[in-house]
This record gives sequence, C-alpha cells and structure tokens, in this order.
Amino acid sequence: MKPIKVILDCDPGHDDAIALVMAHRSPAIDLLGVTTVCGNAPLAKTTSNALRILELIGARDVPVAAGCVQPLARPLVLGTADGPSGLDGSPYLLEPTTELVPMHGVDFLAKLLREADEPVVVAPTGPLTNIGMLLLKHPDVKEKIARIVLMGGAFWRRSEIITPTEFNIFCDPEAARIVIDSGLDVTMVGLDVTMHVLVEEPQFKRLEAIGTHLSKVVLDWLRFYEKLHRGQMGIGGALHDPLVLASIIEPSLIETREAHVEIDLTATHAFGATVADFWGLRGLPNNVKVASRVDSDRFFEMLYASLTD
Amino acid sequence: MTTTPQRIILDVDSAGDDILAILFALGSADIKLEGVTCVTGAAGPIEQVTNVVLNTATLAGRDDLPVAAGAWRPIVGNAKEDMEAPVHFEKRLKERFGERLKKFNPPAPRPARPAMDKHAVDFIIETVRRNPGEISIVATGPQTNIAMALDMAPDLASLVKQIVVLGGCFQTPGNMTPVSEYNIWADPEAARVVLRSGAPVILVPLDICEDNRVAASMLTRDDLNDLATAYPDSRVVAHICENFSIYIDIWREFFHLVGFPLDDAIAVATVTHPELFTMSEPLFVDVALSERLVRGQTVAFSGRQILSFDGPKTTRICRNLDGRRFLQLFKSALGALR
Repeated sequence: MKPIKVILDCDPGHDDAIALVMAHRSPAIDLLGVTTVCGNAPLAKTTSNALRILELIGARDVPVAAGCVQPLARPLVLGTADGPSGLDGSPYLLEPTTELVPMHGVDFLAKLLREADEPVVVAPTGPLTNIGMLLLKHPDVKEKIARIVLMGGAFWRRSEIITPTEFNIFCDPEAARIVIDSGLDVTMVGLDVTMHVLVEEPQFKRLEAIGTHLSKVVLDWLRFYEKLHRGQMGIGGALHDPLVLASIIEPSLIETREAHVEIDLTATHAFGATVADFWGLRGLPNNVKVASRVDSDRFFEMLYASLTD
Repeated sequence: MTTTPQRIILDVDSAGDDILAILFALGSADIKLEGVTCVTGAAGPIEQVTNVVLNTATLAGRDDLPVAAGAWRPIVGNAKEDMEAPVHFEKRLKERFGERLKKFNPPAPRPARPAMDKHAVDFIIETVRRNPGEISIVATGPQTNIAMALDMAPDLASLVKQIVVLGGCFQTPGNMTPVSEYNIWADPEAARVVLRSGAPVILVPLDICEDNRVAASMLTRDDLNDLATAYPDSRVVAHICENFSIYIDIWREFFHLVGFPLDDAIAVATVTHPELFTMSEPLFVDVALSERLVRGQTVAFSGRQILSFDGPKTTRICRNLDGRRFLQLFKSALGALR
C-alpha cells in the first residue's frame, strides 16, 4: 500500500517525541517534514528536541523548520507535563548537529504542501499557531491538505482528570478557531480518547521486554512522564500525540462523531473550552469529526511494534 | 532646509481616505514610500483592496511602487451578520443618493499590472529587517498584516521606527458600537498584538479625525474647488474632484460632519509633521476582546486606578490636530503629483 504523506507540526514534548518515532518508523507513513511550535516548552527547546529526537532515531534526513514563537494573539502559557526542557528524563539525547531549514515553519509548511504531488495529511500535536498562521497567510494551500488530524479539545467526559479546557486549544484558541472553521476535513483527537491511552505498569513491562536501544529511550521518557502525570492527576501517562499518528495509520483505532464545534474565547474558567453541538440543535453545519472512542490495547500493540527492530 | 525623507510602509484597506493617503504620501517630498501593503477591511475582499491600490499608483504615475497583497481575513473577526452590516449600510445610502453612489467604493477596474509576487507580511518583515530603525509603518486598516508580521518576526518590534495605527476612539463615539471604531473592531486581536508588542506606536483615534472639533481638517466642496483652480492641469486633482464629492456628501448627511474626514492621510502626517499634533505621553493601551457590546473598545491607561493591569507603555495617543495646517499640507502634496 502507498504510504500516507504526513507533515507533523509539534512541540516535543514526550508524547510528541513518541509520535515522531511512530511517524518515522511506520512504513505506512511518508513523513515529509516536521515543523515546531511553542507550547510544551518555548520554541527554542521544542525545536532542539525535535532535532535531537530525529537524530536519535536515524531520521536526520527529515527536514525540520521552526515556526511561531508565540501564540497568534496572546502571551505564551507553557505546558507543565514535560519538565523544564520539554523532554526531561533521558540521558541518551545529545545536542543536535543537524541544521534547521532556513525558513519560517509556516512558510515551510506552505512550501511542502505546494510541492507535494498529492494532498497531504497535516498532524498538529501542539498548539495550532503554525496551522492558523498557515491558513491566514497561505490560503491557497488548503487544496493540498487532505485532512487535519489534530490533538486537542475535550468534549463529553469532563471530570477531575479532564479539565474543561485542553492545553493545545487553551494555549492558542484563536488559531484553533481558524483551523476548525477552515472548511477542511478536521478530526479532533481530544482528551476524551487520549485520557484512555494510559501508560502504566503493564505497558512498562511490555516495553522492557522489547529491549531495543530505542525502546529503552522511550521507556525512560515514559517513566518520567508517567511519574509527572501521576503526581499531578493520579493516573498514568496519557499518550495524546502518538494516538494522532496511530489513528492516521489505522483510522479504525478511533470512532468519531461529527459536530459543529465552537471554541470559547471570552469565558474565564472555561476559557478555550471546545463546545460541540452533537445533536445539531443549533442547525449549524458540522465542522469537526470529534474522536469519541479508542481501542487502547490496539494502540499499544502498534506502539510496541514500532519499537521492535 | 533639506531633510532626509521619512521612509514609510503604508498598510491600507482601500477605503476612500486610504486612496487619498496613498496620494498624499506619494506627493509629499518629505516621504519616501517604500511600498503599500493591502489588508482585507472596509473596501471588501483583498483582491478589491489590492486592485484599488494598484490603480491609485497608476493614477499617480507610479507603476514602480511596490504593492503587496496581504491578509484575506481577520484573526478572529466578528459574527457574520455584523461583518456584513456595512453592506446593509450601503443599501441605506443607495436609497438616499441613488445613482451617485456608484462612485462610492466602486469595484476596481482591472489594474495595469499585478501586485508583487510576495505576501504583504513578508514585504513588511524584509523591509524592516533590512533597514533597522528606519521604517515607519502606517497602518490605516485593520491591523491583521502588522500583527501577523509581529507574530512571525517578533524582532520587528525593536527594528521598526514606529507603527502608526489609525483606529480606536476615546471621547468621540465609535462608529461600530458607541465605544468601538471600525479598524480596531474588525480585528481586535490583531490590534492588541500591535499595542502589546513593545514597538513604539502612535495611535490616531476617531477623536482627531471624525469629530467636528477638528472640522478644519475635513475635505469640503470648497476644497475641491480650490484644488481644481490651483492645479487645473493635474490628472490626480481632476480625478479627486470627479470622484470624491459623493464622499463629502455622505459624511455630511449621514455622519453630520462638515466634510469628508481624511483619517488615513492624517495618520501619514504624524510621521512627517508631528508638530501638528498634540500627543499624550507613552501609555499602555489595550483592546477589549469580550462581548459584542464592547468588543474592539480601546482602553488607555491614563490617570490613576486602584486595579493594576500590565502592558507596555509604548503608545502615544493623538489628542488634537492643527486641522487647517494639515489640510494645506494635504492639498499642496496632491498638487505636487504630476
């Protein structure tokens, strides 16, 4: 089968890092390039992390360009899930030696899309600043985007572990709004599903059993990440971003429901909340496919396979 | 006395006064117009905005002027029915002015040349970076392009000489809501990016443009007669006399002003003739983003308050204008165009 052309727009980030690993190692994906954005950490760190991860996995040929250093219309609020460097916990990562593409990430996204010989899947796993700016600045590339599968949003099951707002949307809600209102085929893989893809002891055991160099690095990241999550929320590490990649490879991993989604830009406590009209009560056209269920066990089998030599 | 001309990038949305601001800048010996960038706004879609600018450059014999198309939509904008309200306003004008309204914001004829093959945002970033401390950006439409440039190149805030923002209102009632003016209202998030960027900003609010207190700065039919008499051979003046009387009448009859307010040309004049203006000390100015009632309101932090709000004190607000001297400058600049 012909591999799916994908561009990953990310803010690594442990879970972004694993998404990068899966994207590079899956034969089902042709990773055209990586763009970075501020979010889990400042842009300089997310960019350096992306380069370090790609070096580690032998993917120095994947071009990387740095994108936006701040959200479109508000100051940056950093994520807290990944430690100060955005990728704490691994002694294996070295300083990057590869060069960045000498171009703004937003313009590089436009270039990759224009040069692609078929529509491309765009996978944003951080705040949507780069993609929002792409659609503002280069509206002509819309025809080269097959679909957008993004990590973001929280819809049904708000609870003590699922806050009313999800970080990527909260961080740049104006950009998120541009993306969901773009008329493109947009799938939101939000906390409703990613909070069910938890790495805990059984998953650690399976990862230990793989025993490759790469699986050891991933295990280090995930141990750090799990500890931080458990400390904050009392549950294991949710693999938000890898699920986006896995669902591009295997769409049947997630079930989706179409809805008209809006993002609250003016609320206080629920600022950045994603509000979906699943029943069509307002009579507005559906703009998003919202991920509603996930087969977590199948996801983890895909992850293990991608780490096995 | 000869002085080095001020280097300006004009960012416009091609309403009537934008056209006059371009001509004013081109006719002013003390301005070097580096280029005109276009943004979606009062005149409609970006194609129309860009074509109007290209045709205006042709009218002034300046087909060499760099013109770049920019943002096709605001960052967030407003509800569709509100965004379309100016169109319904034009319907009301049509009832009053009939066929004459055809000269108000008419669809631009096909221009003699295309815009440059470069996005307005890139033109702004590259021009400012190549000339640190030299370039004044005068933005007379919604602030979308300027905010995008600052988002993609935050270093611009310290490289630009100043950013002149035409927009907002304080004592004078707004034209979209009682507290908000069109340019800020049309993209409040973008205006906020500019006002919070740290770049030195001059804010030219409605108060010194669209208020009869500055009536002497407004263009009247008498001024059109003066221009026609003083410059009988000028193509540019003939064009203005033929096309702008309807603007004067609309602003007289609908907005109760004594003439057509030259907001965008006034904004240009802040760069070359700051002595015509009374300006505040540098203040923090913020923009309300919240509900429809106050969305786009400009809030200036002057006086003393109990609650504190953080933001850079970088914006000088124009509080008054010597309208008579401005209008003289404006008319002689137009007359200088051949």
